[in-house]
Amino acid sequence: MADTAAGSVDKSVQVKLVLLGEAAVGKSSVVSRFVSNEFQPNKEPTIGAAFLTQKCRLEDRVLRYEIWDTAGQERFHSLAPMYYRNAQAAVVVYDVTKASSLEKAKSWVKELQRQANPNIVIALAGNKIDLVQLSGSSSTGQTASESEDEADDATATPGETTTSGVDPESLRQVPREEAQAYATEAGLLFFETSAKTGEGIVEIFTEIAKKIPIEHILAAARGTGRPGAAGGRAGASGQESSVNLDGDANKPKDACNC
Amino acid sequence: MATISTALRHFKEPTKDQLTQIYFSIPPAPQTIGAPVNPQDEVEKMDINAVLSLGIAGEEDSYAGKLYIMPPYLAFASLDRKSVRFTIPLCTIRRVERLNARAGIYALSLATWHGVKIIVQLTSLRPTADLFCSLLRDALKVELQRGQMKAVKPFVKTCYSEVIAAAGSTGPTENEREDGSLINERESGSDSDAVYHGGLGLKYKFPGDAKKLREASKVKLWTSYLQTHGRNLTLLRYPQCTRLVQVGLPNRLRGEMWETLSGSIYLRFANPGYYEKLLVENAGTVTTSTEEIEKDLHRSLPEYAGYQHEDGINSLRRVLQAYSFKNPELGYCQAMNILAAAILIYMSEEQAFWLLEVLCDRLLPGYYAPSMHGTLLDQRVFESLVQRCLPMIHDHFQEVDVQLSVASLPWFLSLFINSMPMVFAFRIVDCFFCMGPKVLFQVGFKAILKINGEKLLKIQDDGGFLNLMREYFSNLGESAHPDSSDTRARAITRFQELLLVSFREFSVITDEMIQSERRKYRGEIIHSIESFSRRSAVRNLKTLGRFTKEQAGLIYDALYRAMCMAPPPPAAPPPPTLVNSGDGGAERIETRIGLKTFKIFLSEIATWARDEKIVMNGFQQRIDRDVAEHEFIDRLFYFWDTSCRGALSLQDLVLGLDGVMFNDLMENIEWFFNIHDKNKDGFLTKDEVLTLSETFLFIFRFEVGDAYLGAVSRFMTNAFEYGDTLLPERGESGPNGEPLSPQTISPNQPYLNLATFRMVVLADEVLESFYETDLSASFKLELMPDLDLPALPANGLLGDIWSTIATDTNKKMFHAFTDEIGKTIGKHQVIHRPSIGRYTTLEEPKARESLVTPAMRHSTSKSSLRESSSTSPTLGSSSTTTLASAKSTSSTTLLPSDTGNTSTSTSETSLLSTSTSIGSSGGPHSPPPPPASSISPSTSPSVPRIVQVANAALMERTPFAIDDAKDDEDESEDDFDDADEDLDDDDQVMDEVDAFLEAHDSGLTDADRQVAKDLLRAEPVK
Ligand SMILES: Nc1nc2c(ncn2[C@@H]2O[C@H](COP(=O)(O)OP(=O)(O)OP(=O)(O)O)[C@@H](O)[C@H]2O)c(=O)[nH]1
Ligand SMILES: [Mg+2]
Repeated sequence: MADTAAGSVDKSVQVKLVLLGEAAVGKSSVVSRFVSNEFQPNKEPTIGAAFLTQKCRLEDRVLRYEIWDTAGQERFHSLAPMYYRNAQAAVVVYDVTKASSLEKAKSWVKELQRQANPNIVIALAGNKIDLVQLSGSSSTGQTASESEDEADDATATPGETTTSGVDPESLRQVPREEAQAYATEAGLLFFETSAKTGEGIVEIFTEIAKKIPIEHILAAARGTGRPGAAGGRAGASGQESSVNLDGDANKPKDACNC
Repeated sequence: MATISTALRHFKEPTKDQLTQIYFSIPPAPQTIGAPVNPQDEVEKMDINAVLSLGIAGEEDSYAGKLYIMPPYLAFASLDRKSVRFTIPLCTIRRVERLNARAGIYALSLATWHGVKIIVQLTSLRPTADLFCSLLRDALKVELQRGQMKAVKPFVKTCYSEVIAAAGSTGPTENEREDGSLINERESGSDSDAVYHGGLGLKYKFPGDAKKLREASKVKLWTSYLQTHGRNLTLLRYPQCTRLVQVGLPNRLRGEMWETLSGSIYLRFANPGYYEKLLVENAGTVTTSTEEIEKDLHRSLPEYAGYQHEDGINSLRRVLQAYSFKNPELGYCQAMNILAAAILIYMSEEQAFWLLEVLCDRLLPGYYAPSMHGTLLDQRVFESLVQRCLPMIHDHFQEVDVQLSVASLPWFLSLFINSMPMVFAFRIVDCFFCMGPKVLFQVGFKAILKINGEKLLKIQDDGGFLNLMREYFSNLGESAHPDSSDTRARAITRFQELLLVSFREFSVITDEMIQSERRKYRGEIIHSIESFSRRSAVRNLKTLGRFTKEQAGLIYDALYRAMCMAPPPPAAPPPPTLVNSGDGGAERIETRIGLKTFKIFLSEIATWARDEKIVMNGFQQRIDRDVAEHEFIDRLFYFWDTSCRGALSLQDLVLGLDGVMFNDLMENIEWFFNIHDKNKDGFLTKDEVLTLSETFLFIFRFEVGDAYLGAVSRFMTNAFEYGDTLLPERGESGPNGEPLSPQTISPNQPYLNLATFRMVVLADEVLESFYETDLSASFKLELMPDLDLPALPANGLLGDIWSTIATDTNKKMFHAFTDEIGKTIGKHQVIHRPSIGRYTTLEEPKARESLVTPAMRHSTSKSSLRESSSTSPTLGSSSTTTLASAKSTSSTTLLPSDTGNTSTSTSETSLLSTSTSIGSSGGPHSPPPPPASSISPSTSPSVPRIVQVANAALMERTPFAIDDAKDDEDESEDDFDDADEDLDDDDQVMDEVDAFLEAHDSGLTDADRQVAKDLLRAEPVK
């Protein structure tokens, strides 16, 4: 892994990404699924914000996501600008089993569109989709296979809604169509995800990577003379990303390669 | 969407008294919050110079300091305010004796509940000492009467320190593991010692390795300390106590020591049963807070065994809920779950509840408030201290745009508990409760400095900074000097080093310094919080109507100012609806204002909704503003309350204003009509026509001249003439086509429709212009110009005094005072400012051709109007003329014309009754300003008051902050060399204890010390 990092330092582009959304919708879980492919059922609430990094390959480029996972409770709201300032991407998360969380997500989107970096790429993620799917073998397996070829139309095909079954689906409070319609109208990327099963997680970051105006960032970085910083920092922050890319190399890399 | 809070505006710097109280951890008196304190009711407080000695010869040095009586507590602090101190409830004092000592020496011997004898020598002058003693005696009597003495015994039994002190044993008792947890819980449950409070740790074990923590040695040291220095309620804190805390509290004693050191024990003592009662009373209550708590219960120290069981979860739920019930305004903030979960390992629910109270209220003020202003403020303070003490790092961070608080914010919010391994975090928490909030700053500093060197200066961004910190914290258990040849040095962990150096190098950071920094930045923080919430409030509006964002911001400002003056009740969630709307509506809490606040709001915006008097008194010219009271304003309130909640949100106000401020002539007429058409049937009843006329008169009440008054009279005449004329066409004509006799029309019957109303209004030039432009223009969003400045130098000392005394009440006093002088020198003048002010000429503008034929018109009404206008007095000459008085004159002049007229029509009488009522319905404002006599009694004492206030303001200035940087010089008075024995556990603890040794200046000369020693042998005066 260390080699990979060293080799790609020159080409790597830093992307600052912030996660926003109501408390307990699963922001931290989404991040830890993406960064270390783990899911921890009882995660402590985030106080202030957490910082993690993960690399993602896109064509010949390596994106280095610097992820700010923020606290969800309303009263931490006034701290958020500290974290989303200069962010190039944002993932706004809601919980598909909780209607109010979509409202909160909308208000985050509104705030980002007005206050944040004007070119910010925003993705909307409806998390905990596992709760509204039929439990059992199918969903996880299906997800894995789907995610391979679904990347292009991840936002379009409501593939899993066909499984909408008797019981679990009744937990759903936000219909996919409704959120999709809102996302389209507001110009957001849209995904339904599960940090628990891993469904849709990598896709978020891949699609964001595609949409990020990389040249723009590079130019900006050159302007401020900051790209070199990446190397120095990678050394300092030992315990970040690397392990995971190794242990679980295929998933993120493949996903990002498309 | 959002809630709007003005709480920050109401912040008051603590007084000197309160600071003393805070220092001694004395709980605030229960009822004084908000209510004005009657000085007579207040128990008398006093402090006196004293020398304290412990009644056991040779046990401790004597210390000079101050003894305070603050009923129901007696407290002492040595001169340096840190070596020695105690806070003892008076009811634990069993015996007080005056000692028979050398002439000129006045000493008392106090015996506490725990049999510790304290000798205090009162070194002030004799009369002062006498006074102090008599206060003490009285206060003790009061406690006796309150029966508090009896409460001590059962309370003390709940304290584990009693068990420790009684056992006097070394090592764990039979039923204890090495870490202090119980081997067999059952047994202890039936045991007599089970009455003492303890935490989850008793059952689920305490974190950390007991051996490594050297529990047994610590317990031994504490046992002997508690036996000789008192415990729980009567603990005397000598230097040894602080040192023992710094090496880490033993698990089993930890919870109780936390409550003793933080003072939460006094709350628990003073409020027996409160916690349980609170829970019972609120059983089943569901609030936003309880919902938020529920989300986090399983997310609080999930790795601790106790929280993998329902026991732990339930305890946590109860404590957090109880706190949210106690302090609904704060409710619940994430991070509190982590704190509560942590302290519950060591304390019972009730203990934890009170400790949480002290944490949120005193130790971390405003940290968890909805605006989190305390957190933001302390982050700012922290940054400024870094700038001051570590300028290199600060500059570098500035350069690479790294924000300190990305890392430090969680440290402060959760007392490092989830930033570093728990065992270490708890050590910091120990110190925090013992030495106060400055510990957080000190450790925060150290943490930064420790890794300072090259590493921090290499940091390029926030992320790198965070990672560096994380790495450092996770390796705290490693040796700080792994390569040292000295085993002792190698044994020192990074953590020990962190603590040691934190306290040594940064003992310059004092509580006073933090206080003064907070004072410095508070304004800035409040401003940024306020402008943030302003922005989000505006952003969250569903619609701005036709307003721009800036204008909506101005509406917000007016609302905010109104809320500052009349805070609405705390925002509550809307009542639960049966149908789940699915849009999350039930989750949103929105600030809504009631009628009272609305009146103030409107007075900020609409010219006619306030009474403005221009006052000139020779010293100053100012505008006195009062909020107007009128039914019309109430009507408007309900008119805008479209969702019928009896309260208005910012959105309602924006839409309401949108409904009038952009109107053209016709829209305004309709708007005005609709407001008065209560049942919305498209008709005004006769009563409503009258009400509407009253509204006119209200709006025009301060207009100069008769133009408006005339217009209203014409309006009424015409309205009733039309109304009556048109009635037959609605199918009720009399036999001869004559209008029905007016008496038969009930006042509640539909009478005037919009078209007729419009016709009547347009018949008058004044009213037409009112609707065309003046009405809309009478709403002004821009801030009212403030002429409120005093004719005093705006800078220098006087300016300072002005700004300190410039509270509303003081301003009023000042105004009243200058008015008074103005009156005596004949320069006092009051003019009412008109709300519209278009027609200011005295002559009446020409009425338009009437649409009603002269034959239909009652001649009398017209003539009476003429009369009224001709009799009204002219303005200008008399110095306190108000239109209110002008109006009452006009209405009285109307009366004779009425009585002289035999053919009284309904319309006429009503007109008269209306105008008469205005004389009185002008409410509190209509009588002309009271003459000098009524003001003078309040003004004469106000002069010394102002001086007092100014003096008080001067007194409260903080002394220069860094005044005790003297310590640590003779750090090395170690007794390392007293023995050759090997690294025994006890010794290691003692080494560590000694490492914390600081020079404790007893503040006494040798002679004084001798006196103090002699006192130990003195006999009580019989
Ligand atoms: N079933 C299911 N549970 C999830 C999923 N993602 C998160 N959770 C659970 O939801 C809870 C909250 O998850 P977090 O990731 O801590 O939520 P968060 O948004 O970071 O919360 P804050 O830090 O408080 O803002 C945890 O108990 C998770 O286990 C998911 O995809 N499916
Ligand atoms: Mg989180």
